[in-house]
Amino acid sequence: MSVEAAPMAMPISADRTRRGSLRMPNVSRSVLLSTLTVAVLLTTWIIVTEIGWANELFLPKPQAVWAAFVKTMTKGYQGTTLLQHLGASLYRILVAFALACLVGIPLGVLMGVSRNARGLLSPLIEFYRPLPPLGLYTLLVMWLGIGESSKLSLLFLAGLPGIVISTIQAVTSVDPVYVRAAQSLGATRRHLLFHVYLPAAGPLILAGMRISLGFTYTVLVAAEIVAASAGIGWMIWDAAKFLLSDVVIMGLIVLGLTGVVLDLMMRAIAKLLMPWART
Amino acid sequence: MKRLVAALALATLTFTATARAEDKPPKVTVGYLNLVNAQLVTKHLGLLAKEMPGVDIKYVKVGGGGDMLRAIAGNDVDFGGLGNPPTAIGATRGLPIKGILVINMLDYVESMVVRADKNITSLKDLKGKTVAAPFGSTTHYLLLQALKNEGVDPASMKIIDLAPSDIAAAWLRGDIDAAWFWEPNLDKAVKNGGKILVTSGDMARRGYPTWDIGVVMNAFAEKYPSYVEKFVKAECEGIDFWLKNPEKTAEIIAEELSLPLEDATRMMKGTGMVPCDKQLTEQYLGTSAKKGEFVDTLVATADFLVKQERLPKLLPRAGFEAFIQPAYLEKVIGR
Repeated sequence: MSVEAAPMAMPISADRTRRGSLRMPNVSRSVLLSTLTVAVLLTTWIIVTEIGWANELFLPKPQAVWAAFVKTMTKGYQGTTLLQHLGASLYRILVAFALACLVGIPLGVLMGVSRNARGLLSPLIEFYRPLPPLGLYTLLVMWLGIGESSKLSLLFLAGLPGIVISTIQAVTSVDPVYVRAAQSLGATRRHLLFHVYLPAAGPLILAGMRISLGFTYTVLVAAEIVAASAGIGWMIWDAAKFLLSDVVIMGLIVLGLTGVVLDLMMRAIAKLLMPWART
Repeated sequence: MKRLVAALALATLTFTATARAEDKPPKVTVGYLNLVNAQLVTKHLGLLAKEMPGVDIKYVKVGGGGDMLRAIAGNDVDFGGLGNPPTAIGATRGLPIKGILVINMLDYVESMVVRADKNITSLKDLKGKTVAAPFGSTTHYLLLQALKNEGVDPASMKIIDLAPSDIAAAWLRGDIDAAWFWEPNLDKAVKNGGKILVTSGDMARRGYPTWDIGVVMNAFAEKYPSYVEKFVKAECEGIDFWLKNPEKTAEIIAEELSLPLEDATRMMKGTGMVPCDKQLTEQYLGTSAKKGEFVDTLVATADFLVKQERLPKLLPRAGFEAFIQPAYLEKVIGR
């Protein structure tokens, strides 16, 4: 019996230990794989530029990009340091994104809860949502001028539909059982909104906010093309005019990394505010 | 020097070798700058199509030098036009292009316009004002050069980068106080409360000439050298037409740019067209044996751009000499 029992027990314990040993390294494994991807990309970049396969005008060496980074950090690009450029861009993005959330989430909740509101407002949202930002921008510049307001408006308009639509979806997908249960316990509309709809829809709204921040981010360069004199997007655009591809690539890397950091921050905030959500 | 001679010899060798069994390009793309010059005449009269029967000819309007550089870097055009600052940038950065003819010399077709009611009588009065120019273009270069000559700190004003059409829109809205840019958009600012403070012609007389040069992509020139000649010939015919028939030219310009005839006539006079045989003289391209003053302008422009940190390093003079290629024009003229 004992001989027979042993093989029965073995797979279980082996399975357990395998799982146990896998769970922790699972995280570091994905980190390892990610590092591998970055390393392969970087090595390819180095090899391609060292051998001379790539024209330096279009793909400068990593050292050149690094040198451009150091120079822009210390001396600046056209009189403005990298941090100031980044600050100008982040200011635009965050202000526009905050406005988009302030307008978009209540609007989405309203449209999610009330069928009438949805009927009234959805033609507007649905119409301008697919419009290319640059087309919209020419009109914004004519209306609002070349200053900061047209830039913020463009970023705001880019971010808004994502939030509205995902909030509508989040609210409409709240389990009606929750609502009825709360109502039977005598919840007012106010209670329903703050204690049922928002907590239940929170994770989906947050997912929408993350997507919307991404949209805001993608139109940054477009927004800074017209009459800016600072900002990462402007720096990239201006450097391209002078064929300074090292600055262009450096700017893109900074832009990409900043985007990743912003997204991580959003996730951290989500965990803090909504520990029940799985993000 | 030896290497240069060898390269030239090689070039002529491949030139003659391929000239015999040369293919016909299926399509030729000409990027032309949105300003007032004889390229509009060549385009309007279809002179290029006459020189190149059976070739699909595509004209692409490009806003300014910065955009043209991008188009060239992206291999989107076969022929293009560049002002001296973008040319200096392109040549220094090793763009695969050669300068083959003078498109125009810039006089008051490019000017700095200021708001008449803002009491701006000299560049010093621009302090604290908003000034626009298309960055990387001839006028951006002249603006910074003029400020430097007058000892005015560019940081004392807000200099912003706008495309010419956007400058006109921003001017009408009242967002900017001054701008240095070119016709046909310049006129919109002048007619709406603007007055001319300095012209590019003034700057040329002070020793800072600006011009636009026709360029060809190296790859195209190597593959279809005789078609580069055809291009030069067609543009020369356009220039001749401009010089010989000013009234008809004005009508063409007016039609091409949707302008009243009198405006077109005035703008034409602000552009200097150089007859093709004169382009081979000392003052312009020079000859293959002895390159002309365009090289000097390019060296001076590049030097200025290096000081502005717009260029990483100054290209040796030989680099700019190699960029200027009067050989095609010489063939067309018959020298």
